[in-house]
Order: sequence, then structure tokens, then C-alpha cells
Amino acid sequence: MSKNYILGVFNDEDSLVEAFEKVKAKGILPVEVYTPYPVHEILEGMGKKTRITHAAFFYGLFAAIGILGFLYYAAVISWPLHYGGKPFNSFPSFIVVTIVATILSVTLLTLFTFSVRAKIFPGKKPEIFHDRATDDKFVMVLDKDSLGEMAVEVDSIINEHGKIE
Amino acid sequence: MYKTEVRGRLIEGDKSFSQISREITAPINDKTPLWWYAAFLVSLGMFGFGLYAKYITVTTGIGSWGVNNTIAWGWAIINFVWWIGIGHAGTAFSIFLLILRQKWRTAINRAAEAMTVVAVMCAGLFPLLHMGRPWLFFYIFPYPNTRGPLWVNFNSPLFWDFVAISAYLLISASFWYFGMVPDFATIRDTTKSKIKKAVYGFFSFGWTGASKEWLRYEGLSFVLGGIAAVLVVSVHSIVATDFAVGVEPGWHTTIFPPYFVVGAIFSGFAMVLTLVVLMRVLYKLNDFVTDSHIDAVCRILIFISLIMGTAYMTEIFMAWYSGSEYEMYTFFHNRIFGEYAFQFWAMFISNAIVPQLFWFKKVRKKVWVVFIISIIINIGMWFERFNIVITSLSKDYLPANWATYSPTWVEIGFFIGTLGMFMAGVLLFFRFIPIIAISEIKSVAKYNKPRKDHLKHAGHE
Repeated sequence: MSKNYILGVFNDEDSLVEAFEKVKAKGILPVEVYTPYPVHEILEGMGKKTRITHAAFFYGLFAAIGILGFLYYAAVISWPLHYGGKPFNSFPSFIVVTIVATILSVTLLTLFTFSVRAKIFPGKKPEIFHDRATDDKFVMVLDKDSLGEMAVEVDSIINEHGKIE
Repeated sequence: MYKTEVRGRLIEGDKSFSQISREITAPINDKTPLWWYAAFLVSLGMFGFGLYAKYITVTTGIGSWGVNNTIAWGWAIINFVWWIGIGHAGTAFSIFLLILRQKWRTAINRAAEAMTVVAVMCAGLFPLLHMGRPWLFFYIFPYPNTRGPLWVNFNSPLFWDFVAISAYLLISASFWYFGMVPDFATIRDTTKSKIKKAVYGFFSFGWTGASKEWLRYEGLSFVLGGIAAVLVVSVHSIVATDFAVGVEPGWHTTIFPPYFVVGAIFSGFAMVLTLVVLMRVLYKLNDFVTDSHIDAVCRILIFISLIMGTAYMTEIFMAWYSGSEYEMYTFFHNRIFGEYAFQFWAMFISNAIVPQLFWFKKVRKKVWVVFIISIIINIGMWFERFNIVITSLSKDYLPANWATYSPTWVEIGFFIGTLGMFMAGVLLFFRFIPIIAISEIKSVAKYNKPRKDHLKHAGHE
């Protein structure tokens, strides 16, 4: 696609992973790797970590406190009503709504976070390097300029397991 | 790690990745078959009849139904609980089996989730119209209002139910949708039609399959899978408390929440089986939905059926053991030997006895027998809800209040309408959405080959 990139195209997961490991051993990190399904060796090898689970935890924590607080405010402070002699703050029966509404909040907020962080949103134009990367090809994108003298070695690694496009 | 030698192949045929994409998206790319149009027309007709029934309900009022002061919950609540039960399959399949690391779910979970979303939408219509003045339904939402502000009763299971079902619908729909994003991208990149490229391109949200996308996608699945697992249990437990906190004989028991949850998963799995068998036959997906998939669902159904049988027997035992004459009356004089004996035995035989046929391998191997049994279970589960709702209400503590109930054509039409809506939804799903999760199938395709064998395949296109 662009002149500054080398695309290593592989036919299966194992070839990709082996070439990836070898390229990494040379101290080169691909710009990006495109696969039809998640390949865990690549996700770990690319060195990025996701904090989406931590975010979800805090969403849950704040949602639970917020919802419980709202229920207490509505049922005890704002307009207390007697329901069959039960206490205004009937804590055990608030738990049900708290749990369900917390799950809903966590789901929606985590989805939103995912959308923002992974930049997956309606109307986004995809940056496609290889149009079969979502079908049957495993594509490793390398920056030509940063390779420098190692370009030849990298080429041979890619050619051993797949091919260059 | 999935062991192919032990569990059998997940996908039949030695398929390449592009073959998997092509075969699964075939219903989207090929010419729509004639049966599809015929079936869609029928379901639209049913849906239209349902709309008319709803129109009568709204303009005339609940008086157009067969419900009365004693049996205030008629077909509407039976059907509501029935649909919600069916709607449990999606989360049960995707999430319970995800947590249990059952790789075989990959061929079925998409269909189960689609079914869930449509079934929950069908379910939601019933309580909405049962309110009588559906245009005021937002009163159930706790918002600062000019009536005090008068808040809703947070102690009421009916309010919990509203929260649970709206949350369930939103969560299953988003879970389902985000599962489809990579597959929409596959369609975008493989289709030859410009319109499809634009439409699926829009819905794929710019997905490219980059490692930074997959990384967060995995994180997201982990969070949603973990947290939504609670919903499999909570939603129907809450529906059960709608009944269990009432004092009616036959309702006021602690067994209700687990009994409802198991029943929901039972009917959900049965409906998944119905749908998957149809999908497999109509679109010839035998290589993806293999005999061993059908076999696995059947085995689960035997197990759940045994739990159902145990629950029915426990209820009967408790009615006798408690020494409560009202419970005894409801179970023995109203259900087992009484006016509603037909409904009771239809429930008992279809849910606890007929599925036991799945013990036989010959039965599990015959797809059309499996299909018929799955339909019988669905009917049986409908009768279970009839039993619970109608029999308990019809004869409670005061004989002066006893009443009978039969639905009017409006209620029946409403139900037929939701059946049509469900069918139409499923048909649209067959036609426009990859019915099997393509990327997930690709990720399990590797288990078909011994791991170190890749060099042999590396060269072949």
C-alpha cells in the first residue's frame, strides 16, 4: 500500500508467529499485525497491555455506590413511604436493583471505553493494509525506514515463512 | 487446550480460512431462496395479525382480553415468562459455555444470541400492553417527577423485573453486536457488491483486525462474559420472585428462583436446538454444526430435564409434606387430578419424560427426531407457565373468588403476533447476518490439525 511499509503476508497462525518471533529477536517490532482472529502470542509479543479490566472494575465500584446512594436518597430522604411496615432503608431489597443496574452500567461504559480506546466506532474509515487480513491472511506490517540495514535479513525471514507484498 | 483426539473435530472437512468465510457468508451473498420469501411472508402475516390484536388491546382496553379479577394474569404473563425463558439461551450459551471453555459453542452462540435479542423484545411487549395504558409505561422509571417526586417501590419484584429485563435486552444486544463487528469487516472485505461493502463497512465500525483492536476486544469479552454471567441467573430469579413473593398457593415457595432459572435454560436450549437444526438443514451447514454439536446439546437437555423432573416432584412433595391444605388442593385437586390435569400432564410428560429419549444414541443421531423433541419441549415449557400462572390464581383461599379463564382471540392474536415477530427476526438474521461467528470458527479451526504439522500446509493455497 504505502511505499514506506513492508507487508509480510502469511497463510496461517504458526508461520506468522514464527516469523514474528524471529523478527522480534532481531530487535524489531512490527508497526502492527493484522489477523482474522486473535492470536495470543502476537497480542503478548506486541507488548501493549490493556487496562480495560481495571476500568471496568472502577465503573462497577462507582456505579454500585451511586445506585445504592440513589435508592437510599429516593426511599429514605426524598419521599419516604411505608410499604407494609418495612423500614424505609430496606437494604436487602435494594441489592437486586443495585446488582442489575451495576452490570448494565459496567457493560455500557466498558463498551464505550473499548470504542474510544480501540477506535472502533460508527462511521470510521478502516485503514486497510491488506484486504484479506480479515479473511484468510495474517499480515505483519513493518516500517521500511526504521529497518535500515536489517531490511535484507527481515526480508529473508518473511520469505521463509510467507511472502512479501 | 481443546483435544481433538478426545472430543472429535469441531469442523468437518479440511477447510481453508477463506473457505470458512465463503461458506458462512453464502446465505448473504447468494440469491435468496424462494422458501425464505414464503416464510417471511407468513411471519409478516402473523406479525400483522398481532399488530391488529395490539391495536384492539390499546383502543378497547384490557377488557378485550379474557382476564378477570381473579385471574388477572392470563396469556400475557404466560407468554412473557415463556419468551423470557427462551431468551436465556443466548447468555447461557455464550457465557456459561465461554466460562466452561466449551469450544463447540462457537458454531452455535451467534444464533443463540440472535434468538435471545428477538425473544426478549417479544417478551417485553406483554407486560407493556398488560399495563392497560402503555403510553404511561415510563411511570415505572424512577425519575424526578411532578408527582411528589413520587418514586417507585424499590421493594417490588415487578420493578426489579423492569430493571432486569431492560438491562438484559441492552446487554445481550450489545454483546451480540460487538461479537459481529469482526465478521462484518470480513464481509466488507470479501464481498463484490458495492452496496454490501458500504453497508457492512458502516456496521463494522472500521474494524481491521489489528492486534491493538484484538487486544482490547479480548479484554472486553472477558469483562462482559464475566459480568453478564450473573444475568443468566438473576433475570429469571427475579421473574420467579414476581410469583414467589405472592401468597397464592403454588407460588409461595423458595424453590421458585432456581426452578425458573433451570426451566429458562431448558426452554432456551430447546429453542436453540430447533433453530440450529433448521439452520443446518436449510443452509447445509453440516460441516460447522456437526452431529457432535447436536449430540452435545441433547446431552445437556437430558441433564436439565432430570432437574426439571426433580423440581416438579419436589413441589408435589412439599405440598404434601407442608401439611397445608391449600397447597394440597392446588397440586392434587387442581393440577394433577383436577380441572387443569391436561395442562399439568402435558407439562410433566413433555419436560420430564420425553427428553429422556435422548439417552439413546439412535435418537440423538436422527436430526428430525431431535427437532420434534425440541418442539415438544417448547410446548411443554409453555404449559409449565400455564400451570403456574392460571391454576394458582383460579382457585385460592376464598372459594367465592374462584374463577375460570379462557383467552379471547385478541390474546391469542397477540401471541401469534410475537411468534411472527420472532420468525421474521430469525429469518432476517439468516439472510443478513453471518449466522455463525466466522472469526471464532477460524480460531478453533486450528484444532483440526496437529500443531507441528503447519509446514506442510504453509505452502498450500
